[in-house]
Amino acid sequence: MTSPDTRQPASGVTPSSKSTWPPKLDGWLDAVARRATAEGILSSILVPVVSALAALVVGGVLIAIDGVNPLSVYHAILQGVFTKSRGFSYTATVATPLVLIGVGYALAYRARVFTIGGEGQYLVGAVAGTAVVTAGGVGDLPRVVLIVVGLGAAIVAGALWGGLAGVLANRFGASIVISTLMLSFIGDSILQWAVRDGIRDPESYNANSRPITAAALPSFFGQKTHLGFLFALILVPIAWWLIRRHRWGFRIDALGHNPGTLNANEYSSARVTLSVLVVAGGLAGLAGMVETTGVNVRLGQEASVGYGWDAIIVALIGRLHPLGVLIAGLAMAGLTIGFESAQRQFELPSSLVSLITAFVIIFVVWGDAIAARWKEAR
Amino acid sequence: MRSVSRRFGETVALDGVDFEARPGEIHALLGANGAGKTTLMRILAGLDRPDAGTVEVFGRRIENFEPGPIRALGVALVQQHFTLVPTLTASENLVLARPEGALLPPGRTAGVRVRKLVEQFGLEVRDGVPASQLSVGERQRLEILRALDADAKILLLDEPTAVLTDVEAERLLGVARALADQGRALVVITHRLAEVEACDRVTVLREGVEAISDGAVAGYTRADLASAMIGTDTSGTITARTTRRTQATPVCLRVRDVSLGRVSSLSLDVGEGEIVGIAGVDGNGQSELEAALSGRSAAESGEVSISGESIAPGDPRSRRGQGLAYIPSDRYSWGLIGPMDLSDNLELGRVLPIRPNRPARHKAARPSLSHWDVRTAGPHARTSSLSGGNAQKLVLARELDEHPSAVLACYPTRGLDPEAADTVATRLVAAAEAGCAVLWIGAELDELLAVADRIEVLYDGTLFGPYLPPFDRAAIGLAMAGDAADRARTATSGEAAPA
Repeated sequence: MTSPDTRQPASGVTPSSKSTWPPKLDGWLDAVARRATAEGILSSILVPVVSALAALVVGGVLIAIDGVNPLSVYHAILQGVFTKSRGFSYTATVATPLVLIGVGYALAYRARVFTIGGEGQYLVGAVAGTAVVTAGGVGDLPRVVLIVVGLGAAIVAGALWGGLAGVLANRFGASIVISTLMLSFIGDSILQWAVRDGIRDPESYNANSRPITAAALPSFFGQKTHLGFLFALILVPIAWWLIRRHRWGFRIDALGHNPGTLNANEYSSARVTLSVLVVAGGLAGLAGMVETTGVNVRLGQEASVGYGWDAIIVALIGRLHPLGVLIAGLAMAGLTIGFESAQRQFELPSSLVSLITAFVIIFVVWGDAIAARWKEAR
Repeated sequence: MRSVSRRFGETVALDGVDFEARPGEIHALLGANGAGKTTLMRILAGLDRPDAGTVEVFGRRIENFEPGPIRALGVALVQQHFTLVPTLTASENLVLARPEGALLPPGRTAGVRVRKLVEQFGLEVRDGVPASQLSVGERQRLEILRALDADAKILLLDEPTAVLTDVEAERLLGVARALADQGRALVVITHRLAEVEACDRVTVLREGVEAISDGAVAGYTRADLASAMIGTDTSGTITARTTRRTQATPVCLRVRDVSLGRVSSLSLDVGEGEIVGIAGVDGNGQSELEAALSGRSAAESGEVSISGESIAPGDPRSRRGQGLAYIPSDRYSWGLIGPMDLSDNLELGRVLPIRPNRPARHKAARPSLSHWDVRTAGPHARTSSLSGGNAQKLVLARELDEHPSAVLACYPTRGLDPEAADTVATRLVAAAEAGCAVLWIGAELDELLAVADRIEVLYDGTLFGPYLPPFDRAAIGLAMAGDAADRARTATSGEAAPA
């Protein structure tokens, strides 16, 4: 006979090495991630689409309060993206880092490894890559070599930055949420030091690096869109395939659902945690270098524009699925680009885009909670 | 307490139990796992309510089973698992449990309160360090002090010695005696005979019924108590094997000097085709033994090997490759991944680097599912949709399909209905008869008696045995309650004394 009093875990053995602090935060994030990957059209399509529309409605109300007709603003946004000559190209450019970092987040969150360190990894990657391609004596190398070496250095730096959080978690039980957040601030400090001192262009008055023109990414469509967008497009099916058909993807999902079982039967959960942080960090590092060499001419103090934070939203709205991340990234980029022109036309506050995105994420989390409750009731 | 009954779903935890605690006496509540001891005490403390029966405290009938009012009557339960706030000191924990006014008292006042209690009851506890840094003995004493601080007249101690060393346990029983002498009523839940002997009266529960009701301890021998605890009824839920291994076979699974937590320097051999049952009351080192043998945790020392090859901890794929199958005690924590489908769960431990596509995976899973009789909608079904029996059959399908050379089966029938339990046992017996070494850690003695070729008793991290068929049920019961350990200790101290 088994009664509840025999089911208590016996003392002396800790079943899993996963950090449990702070319990509330991780528990909440776990629920968010679990609901974001819930099966069915309701969770995968309906919730994000309805949430986006609802956020646009709320944004419309705010625009109306400002005394402007929201419909004409949204019309202008659509025009900005779809009819203006550079609308598409700019959208793709902004979506590039969002998708690269967002896919990394999606993989990590599937494993319930709650990194929020994309921003720091992005900056560290940009600094490392820029340092390599602007170092003395490399200027004579062919452009292809410089690009490859620069991107490689960025990936390695981002991966190390992400992996550091994994080591801290596995060794000392440090909360990944906290350590990746802190490492992001350190990453920003590294950027500030680097552009003022470490890799500063001695001939420049402003604090920034030497120009990286020798390693600039080629653009295509004869526009602003650079090679990095192609990377993002290629990454999506690769990540998808990894999740569906590769052992690593299987282990990621297994870690997310039950680290104890993964540990006892298949592979060390600590190593999977580390690997997913390394990959997510590498992708964020790549995004940093791609942005620097594809869009900018130099690496400057203001390189931290928040792609690493926005990509968290992209990953969640994209339902932690690579294809969803691509769609969400493009949508968010489109909103940003379209709004830029509409804002000038109607003299709207520039914070409106962040407000609308903030509402999207609130509605998505809310909608997921409602969907979960519906499913339980049925 | 009069004819108290309590059921949880289908399980009857208590079935018309009478129980009395009298001032000035220590009453031992003895029983094996799941006998209902803790449930009974939880009801008395107001943490649970009875489905039928009455509870009276000092002549007052309890209508409302709430912990607060019952505590106010002077009943305090010291639970088996500590309920102190680990980051607070002794005095802070006391203040938290019984605040005096809305403001926190100054540290000095609170400290005085602890010192007074310590002096009054002789229970030494360091103040000023967080509870997490106290030894388990100190934490236990602090729990008791906290109960006494609220002036408990009836003190219920749930397996108070389970985590203590022998010396500490002896001391605790001395304190219990002193408290009883002050006119308090004490109840000590235990499964150790040595502790019962330090009490005045004893009630033995077995499967929710009293086997001995409120008897004087002096009136019973150890053998009486042990057989009351484990029962004499040999009709288990599992069909007994008709044949047992007749001759010794080469050793397959070898455990050498493994230490981990409570388990100290444990050695054990399991031969090919042999089923070795590890009997014992839960909490005597079973979970540590499981963790060390399965490679889930690295042992502090010692070695586990299979056919001479050492098994490395933390490397489940190699463990599987070496032929050690593992049926975990908690299949939902260590055996299965609920949200993933059945074919995914079957692949755990042998996932290919590049996996076939989903239809192919499902197709590959089908024969195994039907061979192991996992009744389900199909390989695409979520594992969390399986009933307990089918979930366990899925574990068996994964672990036994590749004909392992040894199986570590931990509580393989736990939580299963009789039919499913019998199926699982039959499959394990079949594996053994095909030459597999089976180490079966079980809580239910009847099961082990039905299937094992040899039984060892795990008590306080040490093995006692071997017991061979035909099994002497009473002897095994005595060993489970610590009699063999007590004898061994007396023997060593007896030898040591003259020398």
